[in-house]
Amino acid sequence: MKKITTLILVSLILLVATGCGASKSNSAATTTTLDRIKADGKLTYAMSGQYPPFNFYNEQNVLTGFDVEIGQEIAKRINVKPTPIATEWDGLIAGLTTSKFDMILGSMAITDERLEKVDFSTPYYRSGAQVIVPSDSKISGGVDLKGKTVGVVLGTTFETKARELGATVKTYKGDPDAFNDMANGRLDAVITDKIVGLNAIKKNNYPYKLVGDLLYTEKMGIAIRKDSPKLLEAVNNALTAMLNDGTYKKISEKYFSADIR
Amino acid sequence: MHLDFSIILKYLPYLLQGAGLTIELAVLGIAFGILIGLVAALLKISQTPLRFIAHFYIWLIRGTPLLVQLFLIYFGLPQLGITLSAFASSVLGLGINSGAYLAEVFRGGIEAIPKGQTEASSSLGMGKFLTLRRIIFPQALRIALPSLGNQFIISLKDSSLCSVITMSELLQTSQRFASVTFASMEFYTAAAVFYLMMTTVLSVALRSLEWRLSKENRTRGCY
Repeated sequence: MKKITTLILVSLILLVATGCGASKSNSAATTTTLDRIKADGKLTYAMSGQYPPFNFYNEQNVLTGFDVEIGQEIAKRINVKPTPIATEWDGLIAGLTTSKFDMILGSMAITDERLEKVDFSTPYYRSGAQVIVPSDSKISGGVDLKGKTVGVVLGTTFETKARELGATVKTYKGDPDAFNDMANGRLDAVITDKIVGLNAIKKNNYPYKLVGDLLYTEKMGIAIRKDSPKLLEAVNNALTAMLNDGTYKKISEKYFSADIR
Repeated sequence: MHLDFSIILKYLPYLLQGAGLTIELAVLGIAFGILIGLVAALLKISQTPLRFIAHFYIWLIRGTPLLVQLFLIYFGLPQLGITLSAFASSVLGLGINSGAYLAEVFRGGIEAIPKGQTEASSSLGMGKFLTLRRIIFPQALRIALPSLGNQFIISLKDSSLCSVITMSELLQTSQRFASVTFASMEFYTAAAVFYLMMTTVLSVALRSLEWRLSKENRTRGCY
């Protein structure tokens, strides 16, 4: 009996030891993220999957949207297979820095706080934060939100803004939940991206309206780990190329009937 | 990778606030659960057709995840015209969920008391309710206490699921700051430590209660 226990213990220790060894040799090697992506033949990019029309699951349960298609175009230009994945918004940056995927292509605004942790590509579209309220609401803009109950997605710039405005903040995993909860009468307003808001109202016939000016404008970028400058360069080149040759315009017009660059 | 736990200090007041809400949810949820559990246990051992309601309730609640139940209550019920606040939904969800498990705990305790005692009480002229209150319950509680405590601890931890229906309890507060500061390890460790402190206090309290309730057995040296 003692022998078996020892055997198990030793094999466990060996397993752990070799496991550590393997990961060490990986990080010590000079292969860049871009080399690995090319070797694997696939580019994995993450998003929340709850941000229509930028990224969402369609009726066939396929992850699609503007962000997904931009990623497909980038993958095509570096000759690998696109692999979009959906994960919780507030875990995206942590997932990227711990190498769960190669980049975040999910309508992430470029902010100083995020730049401390990750690099961003050149902006791939511009939009802004919008206050959205029920049609019969008296709220006419950001200043009226003090003390009101406002719905936002956890970990977004909208959440930060809502707290700045002195609102009682309720957080959700995605905008569809927030919009639904406003329909249920639990929210006075939702703050989200203007395009996302317009799309939700149109698609679901919500009795909502957009009020006030944009609270601020945002530039969206593709987040990439700081240890992957080669990938960043390749992504920026691909973006520039598709902005110039009309591919970007085509994708943008498909979703928004406008060029949102 | 570097860790900087000093960041927790800056956000400590908010985390404590979140922990306060966690305690509030757990206490109310468990209190509600005890009430439902007791009723369900009595119905289940009763010989009336009402026992099928209890059977159904326990089957339904134990057979579905709490997370699904919370979503149904918070996001589903408004479609039927019942719109509860996030707080009410959370207490209701935790209550009916723990109630199903507590019902079985109570039933186990009650059924562990030999039938002879009930017969003896009735031969002494005690009514059904009086027997239950004076003879059965005090002993059943003592037997059920360890399992009860178990369920209390589970419910306390389960209250973290209420974070998905917009409750700013301990987990959601930690998530919020982890997503702003990107210090996931620090904030989730802090959350884990807070939960551990709460469950430790609860365990100790339950153990001392068990000790006090078993006094008679200890002094008489028999059971």
